[in-house]
Amino acid sequence: MFNNSSKIMFLTILMMGSLIAISANSWMGAWMGLEINLLAFIPLMSDNKLMSTEASLKYFLTQALASSVFLFAVILFLLNTGKNNANLMEMIILSSLLLKSGSAPFHFWFPNVMEGLSWINALILMTWQKIAPLMLISYVIFKPLIIISIILSSFIGALGGLNQTSLRKLMAYSSINHLGWMLAAMYNSNIWLMYFLFYTFLTFSMVLMFNMFKISYINQLFSLFFHEKSIKFFLFFNLLSLGGLPPFLGFLPKMFVIQSLTMNNQLFLLTFMVMMTLITLYFYIRLCYSAFMLNYYENSWMTFSYYKSSNMKLLLTFSYISTFGLFLTSSLYFFF
Amino acid sequence: MCSISFISLFFFSLLSFTMGLIFIMNDFTIFIEWEVVSMNSLMIVMTILLDWMSLIFMSFVLMISSLVIYYSKEYMESDYKINRFIMLVLMFVTSMMLLIISPNLISILLGWDGLGLVSYCLVIYFQNIKSYNAGMLTALSNRIGDVALLLAIAWMLNYGSWNYIFYLDVMQSDSEMLIVGMLVMLAAMTKSAQIPFSSWLPAAMAAPTPVSALVHSSTLVTAGVYLLIRFNIVLSTSWMGNLLLLLSGLTMFMAGLGANYEFDLKKIIALSTLSQLGLMMSILSMGYYKLAFFHLLTHALFKALLFMCAGAIIHNMNNNQDIRLMGSLSLMMPLTSSCFNVANLALCGMPFLAGFYSKDLILEMVSFSYINLFSFFLYFFSTGLTVCYSFRLVYYSMTGDSNFSSLNMLNDEGWVMLKSMMGLLILSIVGGSMLSWLIFPTPEVIILPLNLKLLTLFVCIIGGLMGYLISNVSLFFMNKALSNYNFSYFLGSMWFMPYISTYGIINYPLILGKMSIKSFDQGWSEYFGGQQLYYNLVKNSQLNQMLQNNNLKIYLLSFIFWIVILYMYMICF
Repeated sequence: MFNNSSKIMFLTILMMGSLIAISANSWMGAWMGLEINLLAFIPLMSDNKLMSTEASLKYFLTQALASSVFLFAVILFLLNTGKNNANLMEMIILSSLLLKSGSAPFHFWFPNVMEGLSWINALILMTWQKIAPLMLISYVIFKPLIIISIILSSFIGALGGLNQTSLRKLMAYSSINHLGWMLAAMYNSNIWLMYFLFYTFLTFSMVLMFNMFKISYINQLFSLFFHEKSIKFFLFFNLLSLGGLPPFLGFLPKMFVIQSLTMNNQLFLLTFMVMMTLITLYFYIRLCYSAFMLNYYENSWMTFSYYKSSNMKLLLTFSYISTFGLFLTSSLYFFF
Repeated sequence: MCSISFISLFFFSLLSFTMGLIFIMNDFTIFIEWEVVSMNSLMIVMTILLDWMSLIFMSFVLMISSLVIYYSKEYMESDYKINRFIMLVLMFVTSMMLLIISPNLISILLGWDGLGLVSYCLVIYFQNIKSYNAGMLTALSNRIGDVALLLAIAWMLNYGSWNYIFYLDVMQSDSEMLIVGMLVMLAAMTKSAQIPFSSWLPAAMAAPTPVSALVHSSTLVTAGVYLLIRFNIVLSTSWMGNLLLLLSGLTMFMAGLGANYEFDLKKIIALSTLSQLGLMMSILSMGYYKLAFFHLLTHALFKALLFMCAGAIIHNMNNNQDIRLMGSLSLMMPLTSSCFNVANLALCGMPFLAGFYSKDLILEMVSFSYINLFSFFLYFFSTGLTVCYSFRLVYYSMTGDSNFSSLNMLNDEGWVMLKSMMGLLILSIVGGSMLSWLIFPTPEVIILPLNLKLLTLFVCIIGGLMGYLISNVSLFFMNKALSNYNFSYFLGSMWFMPYISTYGIINYPLILGKMSIKSFDQGWSEYFGGQQLYYNLVKNSQLNQMLQNNNLKIYLLSFIFWIVILYMYMICF
């Protein structure tokens, strides 16, 4: 990725765009940041493959449409003389931002685009590209639409991933599900930022692994080879952590959301989301099957030792944190 | 392991016997209480009661178990895990000790449950299906008694203490204490295999023979009798004594009959144990608890000897225990056979052997006391039956020709086994007179007419004769047992009691279980649970996939429609 110097430039611009969007004090500035971000991401996406071209085109069309609607709504805001219903204008802005972030009723582009990307780009799309839209959404919370989006996101995120064999799509649906949680966190406090950070961390360690072992489909997971079973076992704890199973780090942000929703008496919503996350956990466990079943088939040969690479060390560190992080953070909480 | 256990158990046996003698002489009792928890007015205590009864019983149990362990050294020598076996036997002995010394309902439970558990482990020691079934039958039958004891504990909560010996006097006036007494009687009946619960005792013969000698003849099964000896006031002051008299008399009769139909060496002895237990229980329920205790001790001696001899025979006959394949053992194994005969004669009540003193005294007390004709008949007929099956057993195994396979080698040179048998041989010859002098400081005065006095003798002689005659068959004889097959099957299968304990109880629950597993577990709860949920999720997932397959244009258009609708709404309202 870093072979090409132009990519460094685009990456910088991409980050700059997001920063502009979230730190703008006018809607126009935010729109500008979003556009810069979009236009920097398009060249990054292309890696001389047919699929990526298609993905970048889809991404461009969707984002451009969302941006134009956003701009339209912003102008409407400016022209607003008090006659119009502000709620509805907020809804238009919100819809365009939801489309940009890829949350549920407007999520259709997201798995399609993910399918065509390399793992690193997919990581950027799943994490960094969500910062600006989510931040802007947190400025214009219109609860009815948000609740609809929360419910649909967790529902689609759970159901969509159930019959996927492609890991990218699977991660995309998982991302949609997590987006539902983030919106729910946004619903009444700012813990969504923390949720986002944890989600980014966990996704990062997952994608790092997929990228390192060049895995795109789940059947590749089943013949994944390691010198030691325990390493494989350990790496796949990440996935359970991502699903939010209690002894792992991924449970922590979920617990915060659960707490805040409980305090605000949103028990039905909460129950629904937890149930849907259970389904995501089901398909995560299906991925981990080969790692956790000790008598699973494996090749007896391998061509490359992953132990030597520094990536492996990074990956193991990340897995360590995501496996035992909950204990660490809890003890930190305890001591300070 | 064997030697250490033997020596220490033997030592403790002598110690407690000596102490027992001192306690008898001085009429002395030690009562120790250790308070475990005290809550409000309740006190949970570990109580230890040492009087001559518990000490003598303990010394006998320890003596027999030490000899049995010594005996197992040879009997189980080819067993890979002999140490585990010895450990189990030691655990059993410990439980038995705890049971003997505590007169407290809670602390007795420690020994009581320990007995149930360890006897289960011992029955399933040879790990096969038959042992497993027998063990399960044993454990579950005994579990009924455990539950009864637990219920008794709950009922005794009212009194603030579980030391039942202090509350026996209120039995007549207090109906709640009566309930406690009933539950304890139930517990004792399961442990001593009285009539509704008899079927486990012959089944438990799946255990190794030393275990049968120690556990299922002399000690474990007498735990129930011992408990009721401690509770004897319950029986003599309420209707329960009469009930127990009937049930135990029937047990005695049923077991005696069944033993005459049995061909399994160990099962014959097991049924004879059952019959003797019925004798103890019935004399106990008439109020003569000392006699019951006396018979308990002598019976323990000669029954353990009988089992040991049976074990030696089985060991020699390549683990075959069918008496039809034995014969002429008195020529092949003379020493073992003489031990066997002594034990058998002691069981029959041959004068001046151990069984004579207790059994004759019991039967004369029965003749002496006020008792109905039916119970009287049961007592004496069962005595005759005892002699009958003993002589049948002797006829089959000791006399005649050898019926075993043509090439075999029987020998009488299992010295370790023989040595341990010799110890018990001496005891079962002199034990009866010794105990009768110890327990009864003054002889009982019994005055009977000549006919009644000689009745026991006549019954025994006729029984022995019958035992010989029913066994002495030739090829051209007509088999009456076969021509009355249904009746003899009824008598030979313990009056269908195994069916009461197994299929009779479990049949309908199993059918119900099958129905519920079919229509609930694998039916409705799958339909409304896992399967249907998964089916729906997959369906919805496929629907989502179908939606996902559309062209991007359609999504974008629908988004524009949504915005247009919002916009129009905004303008209009």
